[in-house]
Amino acid sequence: MKKRITAVILILALACSCVLPGCVTADPAPENAGRKAITVAVSSDTGSMDPAGSIALTYLAYSVSALDELLTFDEEGEIDYRAAESYEVNEDSTEWTFHLREDARWSDGTPVTAADFLNTITRALDPASGSGYANYLFPIENAEAIYNGEAEPDSLGVEASDDYTLVFHLAEPCVYFLDLLRLPVYTPSCAKYADSAESGWDRDPGTSLANGPFRLEKYVPDQYFILEKNEYYWNADAVKLDRITYRFFDDTQAMANAYEAGEVDVATSLSSTVMEMYEGQEDLFVTDLIATRYIYMNLNVEPLDDVRVREAVNLAINREDLCTIVGSDTEPAYNLVAKYMKDRNTGGYFVDEAEQPFEENVERARELLAEAGYPDGEGFPELTYKYPTLEMDSVTAQVVQEQLKNNLGITIRLEAQELQANYSSRHAGDFDLCRMNWTADFADPYTYLSMLMSNSTYNCSGICDPQYDELVAQSGSESDPAARADLMHRAEQLAVGEQFYIIPLYAMKSVNLVNPEVTGIRQIPASGSLEYRYADIG
Amino acid sequence: MARYTCRRILTGLLSLFVLITVTFFLVRIIPGSPFQRGGVSESVVEAIEQEYGLNEPLFTQYLSYIGGVLHGDLGISYQDPAVRVTEVIARAWPVTASVGAAALIVSLILGTGLGILSAVSGRRSVKQVISAGGMIAAGIPGFAAAILLMLVFSVKLKLLPASGLLSPVHYILPVAALSLYPAAMVSRLVSSTLETELTKDYVLFARAKGLGRRQVIFTHALKNAYLPVINYIGPASASLLTGSFVVESIFTIPGLGREFVGSITNRDYTLILGLTVFMGAVVILVNLITDLLCAWLDPKTRRAYREERA
Repeated sequence: MKKRITAVILILALACSCVLPGCVTADPAPENAGRKAITVAVSSDTGSMDPAGSIALTYLAYSVSALDELLTFDEEGEIDYRAAESYEVNEDSTEWTFHLREDARWSDGTPVTAADFLNTITRALDPASGSGYANYLFPIENAEAIYNGEAEPDSLGVEASDDYTLVFHLAEPCVYFLDLLRLPVYTPSCAKYADSAESGWDRDPGTSLANGPFRLEKYVPDQYFILEKNEYYWNADAVKLDRITYRFFDDTQAMANAYEAGEVDVATSLSSTVMEMYEGQEDLFVTDLIATRYIYMNLNVEPLDDVRVREAVNLAINREDLCTIVGSDTEPAYNLVAKYMKDRNTGGYFVDEAEQPFEENVERARELLAEAGYPDGEGFPELTYKYPTLEMDSVTAQVVQEQLKNNLGITIRLEAQELQANYSSRHAGDFDLCRMNWTADFADPYTYLSMLMSNSTYNCSGICDPQYDELVAQSGSESDPAARADLMHRAEQLAVGEQFYIIPLYAMKSVNLVNPEVTGIRQIPASGSLEYRYADIG
Repeated sequence: MARYTCRRILTGLLSLFVLITVTFFLVRIIPGSPFQRGGVSESVVEAIEQEYGLNEPLFTQYLSYIGGVLHGDLGISYQDPAVRVTEVIARAWPVTASVGAAALIVSLILGTGLGILSAVSGRRSVKQVISAGGMIAAGIPGFAAAILLMLVFSVKLKLLPASGLLSPVHYILPVAALSLYPAAMVSRLVSSTLETELTKDYVLFARAKGLGRRQVIFTHALKNAYLPVINYIGPASASLLTGSFVVESIFTIPGLGREFVGSITNRDYTLILGLTVFMGAVVILVNLITDLLCAWLDPKTRRAYREERA
């Protein structure tokens, strides 16, 4: 009897083990034989693929290959017309007219019209869509009021005078408007299918149409998605690859291993140890990120309300030493605006065109601290530094703590927080010192400078400086490039080199591994991430 | 027995209810919001939260959630409103369960085989090798084993795939990493209990009766030696079937464990709760089955239930 029971159990278990893997591996590995295809490793599957939806990494990977914005800027700062073929702007930069390319087609062959651009904009202005980029539509007349439910949707300042003309009426002059156009909320979604965030149109190859070089062929949640060349693309002749497969990974070590095992052709944003392992090899592809890591000092906390203390702390940190310890993928930064953000009018880096806001100087830092009433750090209260539990930030925190202890005699208490918890503390202003990182949303220093304005939602440390607000606001509407650059440099000097509102730490590099047979990968100037539209293999 | 079973089921449901309640409030205590990412402005987060009813009193939200659960509705994922939580479970669980079931079978077969070998082998060296191997296997944490296996077999030797679950070959490394520990445990349990059983009188009697050594081991002694294994394998299979967070992340397996970690990082409240409820139900169910199975197999336990009833 018992023998039979045991036998039955074992047989059942064996049967399960045979059947279950059978149904789970129903999605076989994509077959790339005989075609020009590459496989790219991307961070795990998050967010939707709807430009008007709640997006994260998946959309960013998808859109660079599959969606055409109106226009963008190339690495030389020249306009690269994509869905639009020309534009006009009125004198005070409040009315922008775009003429769409009449030969542009969606991946089902239907024309791309102004209604498709409007479709994304109107859906993004409904909070139910969950778009985190909706605030970038607010320069448009009535957009903010519509988002807050205070105006009717048809009062929006965007009009499609015909199928191929799109006109934006702005509430105030906005000279960097063209830079905003690369953001998801300004990217088209096919009005025929793209209706709501709940319908799931964005993951279904039948309804998720593309107007760019590649279209969605297959989407397997949590595993991979495949893009095939869009034969209807207006510039299809320039597209060399037949297929791009994006595979999702949770962890950068797993990505590096998959690259090493030959399972992917491109692995991005790896840890700095990969840089040392692959030093001198063709595979290593290091790119500059348009990002700044810095520390917010809470101005509502004593003694950080004293500018001398803020200056002392800034001057006492040795950023060269810090970067040596943190990793070879970091470089010292002394500005708020990212080190590698370009000034489009001169072609150089924006921060290099003005004097460095301050010089490190431990002697001077000690004097300042003494002037503020804390000679050798005596009587200085213990401050808490809150930072996310990422390895890079943990190392940074310890180095900064050590340097401030040695150089100024002040004690910093470290408090590591899980990433989301850190965002919360920062937004609530619940910190003495808090780590911040900002990757440019668009290729203009305004994306950085506007953060410290007194009405900005990213201004978490209580900065309220009317002079600064005035300078940054003027730079948003000044149409003369040289005068505008001057306003922005003055604003940055005021915030970073005179008032020392923040502690800039370092700029970062992205460590990527790329199969040497893959050519033609470009870097998007605004964010520094990689683009594969015109890549080739073999 | 029926009454006992009913009582166990009711206790199980009660535990599930407590689990939902505790998780619901604990998750809300963690700072953060499902819509908060590095670059999203605060006013936008607030507008979206209001749209999803996250600004209502917590208790109201709790009641509506419980109402939904009673109707079998676990809600939508906040990360991706196009996906229902039940769909995520339906997609991820078969993956996890297939890897877990394979690991369970491998560890049972391997563990039992090695356990018997160690118990009946006359040679000391065999015993020592098996016991040392078991110690090492039980001592290496799952994630370390996973990384080691991957480095050796995929990265260096390039024999097996390093990531994903695209073909049956992809199962080898994760299953090996997952079955290491349970196999070692089963082997130790089988070997020690079998050795004790083999010294008992009924074994001597069976041998005296003229039964072969092999027959005595397999039909008589092993059956008795297996009871502690079932007691161990019950909870172990519950944990294998609900997924290993670490091993799934290392091998990029699209299973429950990976979903769970992702949902917590993203503060996807409904997904965290849905997965907790589901995993809790699996654990409770598997433990119930184990208990019933033991009662069924072991006359001593069975008698205890009868007496309790009387």
